[in-house]
Amino acid sequence: MSALQAELAHLLSHEARLLDESRFAEWIDLYTPDCLYWMPAWREDGTLTQDPDTELSMIFYRGRRNLEDRVKRLNSGHSVASNAMTRVTHMVTNVILDEDDNATARTRAAFLVNVYDARTSLTHNFFGSYRHAFRRDGEAWKISEKIIHLQNEVIPTMLDIYSI
Amino acid sequence: MTRFALKDLIDDRPEDGVFRINRAMFRDEELFNLEMRHIFEGGWVFVGLATQAENPHDYFTTFIGRVPVIVSRDGEGTLRCFVNACPHKGVRLVQKPCGSARMHVCPYHSWTFDSAGANRNIKWQKRGCYGAGFDQENHDLAAVAQFGEYRGFLFASLNADVPSLEDYLGEARALLDLVADKSPEGVELVPGRVRFTYRANWKMQLENCSDQYHFTSTHPSYIRILEQRAKEKSDDVVEASLGASDFWQEGAKGVTGGTFSFDHGHVLNWGAMGVSAASPDFERAEEIAGRLGEPRRNWIFNMRNLTIFPNLQIADNASSQMRVIRPLGPNLTEMQTWCIAPRGESAEARRFRIRQYEDFFNPTGMATPDDTVCYEEAQTGMAEQERGWLQGHARGFTATQDGGNPFSDMLGMTPARNVVADAQLCDESLFQSYYKAWAERMAEVVQ
Repeated sequence: MSALQAELAHLLSHEARLLDESRFAEWIDLYTPDCLYWMPAWREDGTLTQDPDTELSMIFYRGRRNLEDRVKRLNSGHSVASNAMTRVTHMVTNVILDEDDNATARTRAAFLVNVYDARTSLTHNFFGSYRHAFRRDGEAWKISEKIIHLQNEVIPTMLDIYSI
Repeated sequence: MTRFALKDLIDDRPEDGVFRINRAMFRDEELFNLEMRHIFEGGWVFVGLATQAENPHDYFTTFIGRVPVIVSRDGEGTLRCFVNACPHKGVRLVQKPCGSARMHVCPYHSWTFDSAGANRNIKWQKRGCYGAGFDQENHDLAAVAQFGEYRGFLFASLNADVPSLEDYLGEARALLDLVADKSPEGVELVPGRVRFTYRANWKMQLENCSDQYHFTSTHPSYIRILEQRAKEKSDDVVEASLGASDFWQEGAKGVTGGTFSFDHGHVLNWGAMGVSAASPDFERAEEIAGRLGEPRRNWIFNMRNLTIFPNLQIADNASSQMRVIRPLGPNLTEMQTWCIAPRGESAEARRFRIRQYEDFFNPTGMATPDDTVCYEEAQTGMAEQERGWLQGHARGFTATQDGGNPFSDMLGMTPARNVVADAQLCDESLFQSYYKAWAERMAEVVQ
């Protein structure tokens, strides 16, 4: 494993940890202001939608500002779906470094998120793959893209950004 | 014989100013099985859009109640609907949600059917030593008893003894027209279907779509975000159509909308929204007015939540959504949802529609989860047995008028009942239409 691969794998683990611990302000700080955050939907033919401008996504945001809105809602106290804070644990593994130069890099990884819903006492799993893109920001890397391919597409009631 | 008496489930005494629904309606397992048989498998239900099987031999699969069906366009271009089960051993013939195939081969013993449902091959039939009885049987796929199309919306019934589709939809057809008439080319589903389940009764979804009362209570977190976005006009975030209107706001003045109820359980609740650039249909505003006249054009821009009983809902509010309700148990429902859009709209309008849709409607968005969680909390709370009667079907009782009003007249439509509302009325009397249709379909088993 190259040093860069290890560094980016560590960053993915760090992102997962921040979500697990509901440290959303720090989580948002990992992203560039113009970041892409995208989870495509599934077409009926069993393929993922590819063009977010002509096809539906589960979540599609361009701009960190949108993630800030999501977090605002989570913390607002005005969303019954967000009141009983769900407990989550992310596993992120199989990290592959796809491309890199001095300024940018791309990785693929597998994820499994175990979700315990305190409201219903039910446990759910969400799993699939991540495609991250990174941009160098001084000494650190920032996430410029996160694309989430969720394999188990039928959502049990709801799914929010901390469960993927 | 029957365990259920209608008066124990629906307390309908207009002379006393009473309309109440019993909690058992949402919870009872036996009642649920009767609903499947008599409502979903005993009359018209929505199965899909004609555009889902656009070309010869295209098909899609779905369910009518518990029964799997295929909607297939045959080689001649005629749409047909069959039970998706091989007559041989009852195996589900087609597993894929959609595709294109001239022939469907059963995975178990290779019986083969064409796109018109006709049996084209029984493997090794000649050497099968079949008796005369087998030869006399029809080996084709079983066509559903009734199948019809209205403006691209496809409906089917497993029961032959139902009114014509035209009569079933009745005056509510004018509201499907408003959906179909957004474009001279009709409507289509944006690729990408979003499915979710919730652990509550299917009638929670039925009611919520028509429930104006919940909006400011259930969705304040979303409302604050859209108010913020309306102020900022930032290019980073999508403009919310509801942010440009006030029909849902406590302080809105005058007539802000209302409800229409129709025979057979169809209902609409609507809110006045102007012809605004916050709607992706704005680019067509002139074209639509020229084609349909201004009153119909203005109606197309109103907020409209339409239910065609029992399983189709078209919501035109924050964006445009088509929902199909599939009950799986008294405490479990599956929703299939799509963005429904006018054909031929500009790339920019389509992108805008999709962005508005995702934030509001998706189970991964900022509004729908607050609804579905409330359905589940209702399902839990309705376990209370002491006070069987709910108090959630009473608003608007004295505001309800028979027939239409100037707003329905604009569409040349005569509903069975209507309510003209200000912002705080939030009619619940339209739910009566659901339960009257429920009682009609259940009449054989619940008197």
